Amino acid sequence: MKICVCLKQVPKKDSILRIAQDQKWIDERDISYEMSEADAYALEEALRQKEAHGGEVIVISMGPERTRQSIKEALAKGADRAIHLDDPIFEQATDAAGIGRAIAAALKDEGCDLIMTGLQSDDHGFGQVGLIIAERLGMSSATIVMEVQIETGSVRVKRELESGWFQWVRVPTPAVLTIQSGINQLRYATLKGIMSAKKKELREVKAADLNLTADDLKPLQSIERAYVPEKSKQTEFIEGKPAEIAARLVEKLRFDARVF
Amino acid sequence: MIRLMTMERETLEMDVLLVGAGPANLSCALHLSRLVAAHNEKNKPGLGEIQIAIIEKAAEIGAHQLSGAVLDPVSLRELVPDFEKSAPLEAAVGDEKVYFLTERGKIAAPFIPPPLRNHGNYVVSLNKLVRWLADLCEAEGVNIFPEFPGWEMLYEGDAVTGVRTGDKGLDKEGHPKPNFEPGVDIAAKVTVLGEGVRGSLVKQLMKRLKLDAASDPQVYSVGVKELWEMPDDRFPAGSVIHTLGWPLDSHTFGGSWIYGMKDRIINVGLAVGLDYRDPRIDPHHEFQKFKTHPLIAELLKDGKLIRYGAKAMPVGGWYTIPQLVADGVMIVGDSGALLNGERLKGIHTAIRSGMIAAETIFEALVAGDYSRGKLEVYEKKLKEGHAGRELYKSRNFHQAFDHGRMVGLVAAGISMFTGGRLPSRLAIKAGHEHMQKLDGDKGDLYADLKYDDKLTVAKLTDVYYASTAHDEDQPCHLKVLDTNICIEKCTIEYGNPCQNFCPANVYEMVEDSEKRRLQINFSNCVHCKTCDIMDPYQIIDWVPPEGGGGPNYRNM
Repeated sequence: MKICVCLKQVPKKDSILRIAQDQKWIDERDISYEMSEADAYALEEALRQKEAHGGEVIVISMGPERTRQSIKEALAKGADRAIHLDDPIFEQATDAAGIGRAIAAALKDEGCDLIMTGLQSDDHGFGQVGLIIAERLGMSSATIVMEVQIETGSVRVKRELESGWFQWVRVPTPAVLTIQSGINQLRYATLKGIMSAKKKELREVKAADLNLTADDLKPLQSIERAYVPEKSKQTEFIEGKPAEIAARLVEKLRFDARVF
Repeated sequence: MIRLMTMERETLEMDVLLVGAGPANLSCALHLSRLVAAHNEKNKPGLGEIQIAIIEKAAEIGAHQLSGAVLDPVSLRELVPDFEKSAPLEAAVGDEKVYFLTERGKIAAPFIPPPLRNHGNYVVSLNKLVRWLADLCEAEGVNIFPEFPGWEMLYEGDAVTGVRTGDKGLDKEGHPKPNFEPGVDIAAKVTVLGEGVRGSLVKQLMKRLKLDAASDPQVYSVGVKELWEMPDDRFPAGSVIHTLGWPLDSHTFGGSWIYGMKDRIINVGLAVGLDYRDPRIDPHHEFQKFKTHPLIAELLKDGKLIRYGAKAMPVGGWYTIPQLVADGVMIVGDSGALLNGERLKGIHTAIRSGMIAAETIFEALVAGDYSRGKLEVYEKKLKEGHAGRELYKSRNFHQAFDHGRMVGLVAAGISMFTGGRLPSRLAIKAGHEHMQKLDGDKGDLYADLKYDDKLTVAKLTDVYYASTAHDEDQPCHLKVLDTNICIEKCTIEYGNPCQNFCPANVYEMVEDSEKRRLQINFSNCVHCKTCDIMDPYQIIDWVPPEGGGGPNYRNM
């Protein structure tokens, strides 16, 4: 079983974020980064499957040099080797299409049985990269996965639906699974793991190695404006007899606030 | 906490283990790895591969580092001769001012007192500087392990043989969770403790080996600091202001700093001596009050608070330096009280101590002798060298303030011009012993302090800007040895000053169904160590939480 995990490095959860001058994204100076939470669960799931069934876990990540910190963390926790897409050209890929295209190109010849991603990243939250990789590599896919059972030639997964409902589906391998946060308990990196990670393969891949140009990665969507939610508070008084007020309030709650 | 005594622990063999990735230990590791490499080059195979490891409790290197800071580059220049090319320096110190503040006014010092002259020095962010040093260390093959606090010292007899790291994955009651990972015993020929101020391992070691038998009690200050982003360049990078006086009362040692950083950031902070008398004093509140002074309020007008943090510092100086060496172990930097309180600087002495420790360890490795006798060279070279001479000159500075600000200023003034000489050595007592009992209801010291959420903010709001986080499901790392004292004795005698001196709202007296109890909000803790230092009954023991917990300082 060869499993590849796609990792994204995102601003740390408790970061104090400031909007960049151009209002297109956050100011990336003086913030800390970490592995996106759902990706950490995807990695844990992959490691557990490998421990149960044998095989190899590869991690892949795209991003500037700082991304290595998260890649090394994955290697320290037990991934066997890593691929780092590190090239200024990849900075072009700011949407799911570009990111998916680049990662698919890098994994084309790996012959993975499973590719796992987090359900969505903690920064952009597109929730699309996994599916785009599946499409580009002609693999089947399942999203919002909560449990993984590996079978011969297929994988049985529990998917989360709305309102506490679940669904079990069987998808043929090779497949892409997007993993929900909280499905397992994350392990800690050990000192020995960190030491041994230094000796593991960490392959740096440039855009040219994948025959990709800046044009190929041009985003199909872009952020118009990033801003802190503007506080707006409107107070409306409903007047009339109690019964009328109640009826009007129910209507408001149902159709305007949509709380039920 | 339940400790798993019978459990098998892994052992990791290292040659040299350094606890704490601060400026002292990183300088030590960098210097040592280069000395070994140069030696091996000349005398093949020489010492062979020497494994150096640094463990650090923070989630990433630099995240727990907080300092003013103005760096005197004297020692860094020796460690990295061309540091000006690559080190993250904010700016060379430019315009400098010193004021004595009164409530509404200010008196400019007629000249800058020599200890505060900063020509040739640099405004820096310590956590940036430390990250840069860590990169240099890693390039030399030093193993750096963030998220691994030192939990306890390992001994053979009284000789130190290494350190056990903290367990991970324990729940609130101290029981292992499914992902439990026991701490590892790291064995080393020499262990270097550079844990910063009031190190938890240093505390254990001092107690066991009585390293402070011949030195004065430690004295500390706590620095409370904010970064402000300004809309314009009103306070250029490299500008420096220091103030004395208001709002601190005349029995409280301390003063402020205001430094200009890159990108229109103003770094402002207040150091409050942890030997004040009035138990109601709250360093965070004093700092908020300080910002309302017209000089500061005007300077920060239209700016935006972007970061907050706090950290204690050792200010006792020369006479408080403990024995720094024992069999198999050395103490460096703030852990050894090597900060110069008169100059408000400790980074340069920390770097120096790390370098001298490295030279000593190198000689010990060559000789294969790690005994106290061999390692003592460190203490001797440090005290006789540049750092020691500087600390010796300031030896009576804080001691003079032990007797109040007026006596202090006069005595410090005399000692400044006599090279530290005073008619007699001034006695000193531990800071918490200065705290006076309340003697009845004294009222709210800060009744006039209002938070407008622009210039002044409440403590809890400030804590948000420290980005501090701890896994909630772990044992509380602030061990109050007897909470009955808090409820019965302390409430009456001192009014529970832990609620005041903690700059992160960790301690709270709450009343549940008519019963008063102490609530410890440990996840707010910014690891400043003030509680361990200032508690009047000395019943708070600060131990490291699970690795990775704590503040996330950037640019501080």
